[in-house]
Amino acid sequence: MTEGLRTEEFQVNMGPHHPSTHGVCRFILTMDGEVIVRAEPVIGYLHRSLEKICENRTYAQCIPVMDRFEYCTSMCCNEVFALAVEKLAGIEVPEYAEYLRVIMMELNRIASHMIWYGTTALDLGAITPFLYSFREREDILDMFEMTCGQRLTYNYIRIGGVSKDIPPEFIPKCKEFLATIDHKIDDYERMLTENPIFMVRNKGVGTLSPEMAIAYGVSGPSLRASGIKYDLRRDDPYSIYNRFKFDIPVCHNGDCYDRYIIRIKEMRESAKIVRQALEQLPNAEVNTGKMVKANFKPAKGEVYSRIENSRGEMGVYIQSTGDTKKPLRVKMRGGSYNQLQVMPELVKGVKIADVVAIMASLDIIMPEVDR
Amino acid sequence: MELIGIFKYLYEQLVATGIPQVWVDLISLVASAVIIFGVLALIALFLVWWERKLSADFQQRMGPMLTGWHGLIQTVADAIKLIQKEDITPTKADRPVFFWAPIICFVAAFAVYVTVPFGEGLIVSDLNIGILYIVAITTFTVISLLMAGWGSNNKYALLGGMRSAAQVVSYEVPMIVAILSVIVFVGSLSMVDIVESQALIYQWYIFRMPFGPIAFVIFIIAATAETNRTPFDLPEAEQELVAGFNIEYSGMKFAMFFLAEFINMFTVSAIGATLFLGGWQGPFLPSWVWFLVKTFGLVFVFMWFRWTYPRLRVDQLMEFSWKFLLPLAFANLILAGWMKYSGWFNW
Amino acid sequence: MFGVEVSQLFFYLLSFIIIVSAIYVVSLRNIFHCALFLVLCLFSVAGIYILLEAEFLAAVQVLIYVGAVSILMIFAIMLTSRLANKKIMQSNDNVTVAIFVCAGFLLTSLGSFGYTVWKVVDSPLPENNTLTIGKLLMTDYVLPFEVVSIVLLAAMIGAIVLARREKI
Repeated sequence: MTEGLRTEEFQVNMGPHHPSTHGVCRFILTMDGEVIVRAEPVIGYLHRSLEKICENRTYAQCIPVMDRFEYCTSMCCNEVFALAVEKLAGIEVPEYAEYLRVIMMELNRIASHMIWYGTTALDLGAITPFLYSFREREDILDMFEMTCGQRLTYNYIRIGGVSKDIPPEFIPKCKEFLATIDHKIDDYERMLTENPIFMVRNKGVGTLSPEMAIAYGVSGPSLRASGIKYDLRRDDPYSIYNRFKFDIPVCHNGDCYDRYIIRIKEMRESAKIVRQALEQLPNAEVNTGKMVKANFKPAKGEVYSRIENSRGEMGVYIQSTGDTKKPLRVKMRGGSYNQLQVMPELVKGVKIADVVAIMASLDIIMPEVDR
Repeated sequence: MELIGIFKYLYEQLVATGIPQVWVDLISLVASAVIIFGVLALIALFLVWWERKLSADFQQRMGPMLTGWHGLIQTVADAIKLIQKEDITPTKADRPVFFWAPIICFVAAFAVYVTVPFGEGLIVSDLNIGILYIVAITTFTVISLLMAGWGSNNKYALLGGMRSAAQVVSYEVPMIVAILSVIVFVGSLSMVDIVESQALIYQWYIFRMPFGPIAFVIFIIAATAETNRTPFDLPEAEQELVAGFNIEYSGMKFAMFFLAEFINMFTVSAIGATLFLGGWQGPFLPSWVWFLVKTFGLVFVFMWFRWTYPRLRVDQLMEFSWKFLLPLAFANLILAGWMKYSGWFNW
Repeated sequence: MFGVEVSQLFFYLLSFIIIVSAIYVVSLRNIFHCALFLVLCLFSVAGIYILLEAEFLAAVQVLIYVGAVSILMIFAIMLTSRLANKKIMQSNDNVTVAIFVCAGFLLTSLGSFGYTVWKVVDSPLPENNTLTIGKLLMTDYVLPFEVVSIVLLAAMIGAIVLARREKI
């Protein structure tokens, strides 16, 4: 009797032009009513062939290309490539430049998490938080603009240092920003953290077990939300991160709510790092480092550098033949790619509305996936 | 059926001219329809503007500023723009269904106002089934949404239409039960009787402890769901369904859905004000001012919800209605009946 | 409120709509359109009730038949896409049988109409018939009223049991 009452499965195409797919991600969802039976991500809509473009440029010319790798955190993209080449060629970066790099990267991380906060709220149907977080993001972008003239693709961290010194008005502006940021994040939390609707939408949704997270190579905040305390800034320190005191927030349920909590806490931790960096900033000598020239040729060899980006481990692998000005092979790794791969597992059996919530909580952005 | 207040006055003026009865009847019908339509169209235009300004205030923006004083005639400009737009019907759409859906939605939204008392004597007709009539007419909104979902021949529209039907049907039940607990006290379905039974402020049904506030809260929650507003705006969930049932609509037909939505919000606020907040009753000011103040107060609450809350998921929404709201509403109804019977707080 | 002429005008208009839409319900080949015409038909019947000054009945007619029954039907049609896309047959092989059944029904109903002695009350209708109906339901007819509600409850539980996926 009950066998005859099966409802029919049907397919829904979510994206690439869909208001909540963070770029141009496409999912083919097989649904039974509102419940997802299967989800198949279709990628490649934002493919720009960045790796191949890099292989046809000199090392210095690759930095602006890296800006486009993951445009929410361009500073970190610059850093990871510069770090790789510096490792390969054994270039020393002056201390002053290292501090500037850390300040910029952490500010960029906050800005990136602000985008995440706004879009997550938006994906769950709350519109107002988006405008709150973008108000503060605007301040960060203003600081970037006064430093390097750009608001999105900075080309600031170069091989061997940074492109130029910060302007004199940067430090007061940054201090003013840091003085209010904790209070502003409190505001954000007041809007969502304890909100019963937000909690019921996120708690227990899209639970990612630590085993599954490791198996799929999930990294960054999404991994730490599953209970694994792994942060490259602590576990494989690059730049001068070992000089700062900061906590690595960890949660244990691995659901969307924990991923939210982790990112909110990380914003506070990043602000802490920037504060310490501003205090320790050596005033004696202003040395932004010596840029490499166009005919720069690193020695033969291969190198892999990795940093902790706001979306997980970001890495660049470079192979150099030693006799050309261009890299032989460049391979990029972005955290979003692995987080997108784990999506079909997480969305099995949930409602279509949860797909949006899970995707938002994993903070997937497509340029990093498609490259 | 009878005519009341200014409508009665107009009717008598018509009779005095000595034209045949048939014409008097027809003219008075058309005239009251036109008056109601005009007033509500103005209110709807104002509400659209107010919602934009309020959302701007909540989000630390300015909102529309350029067209008129603080963008006051922005909505008029938008309406003119929408009228000029090309009216697109998808090739594979079910044409008659697609065509009629917005019209039914629009007409149903206005038809409710036959028996909404805007003030003392400002009511088209004080039907003795007043509130029941309003509840009955609102069901046409559901049918129009289903028609829009079906007629568009689009999966998102279909999902949106079905969601809205499921939602409105489930929230109608606790809403009616909440209304019933007031009706038990009044002993009449007529809107005018309901208002007249709460002449003094402590007689307002929201202040009749303990059943009044509970019924009011249930009513407000169910009304938010009925009007498809956040946190229950699933039928139009942009992030999941792109736009829901109205995804294929453009131009004037879209404007009809849009305006009907705001009219419906005003309707539930007006019902809430009438049932729980004493309708037009209030000191000093003219009765219609009190009615508008209370109604716009409730509209403000709905807008406040919208710009503050995230959205629920569809199964959570259903669970909340059937497993929490409905039992509570029934318990409240029994409580109200007992209070009425025992004469407790029966002032 | 209205004069006799206008009432009559509305009566003929509503009757016309009822008959036409009822014919459409059984003759159209698109089942969704059939359901919509059923809504129109039932709504017009509510209009007739209004003309007869039975407002309560009219409101209940709209609330239950339009608001609940029809929406349920439309919902079922929308959920079963196989049914929705196919043009359905409105006639089948049992035409002869159907003619006999219909003729029998027509004769019986005409006969019962003809032989019933209709009670015509000269006194005006009660001012508030909703109140009267309510009082009657709770006093004289309380037993049938409760029996009906138990039947409905049983039907509801039955539907839930049938629709459950897992066996109890």
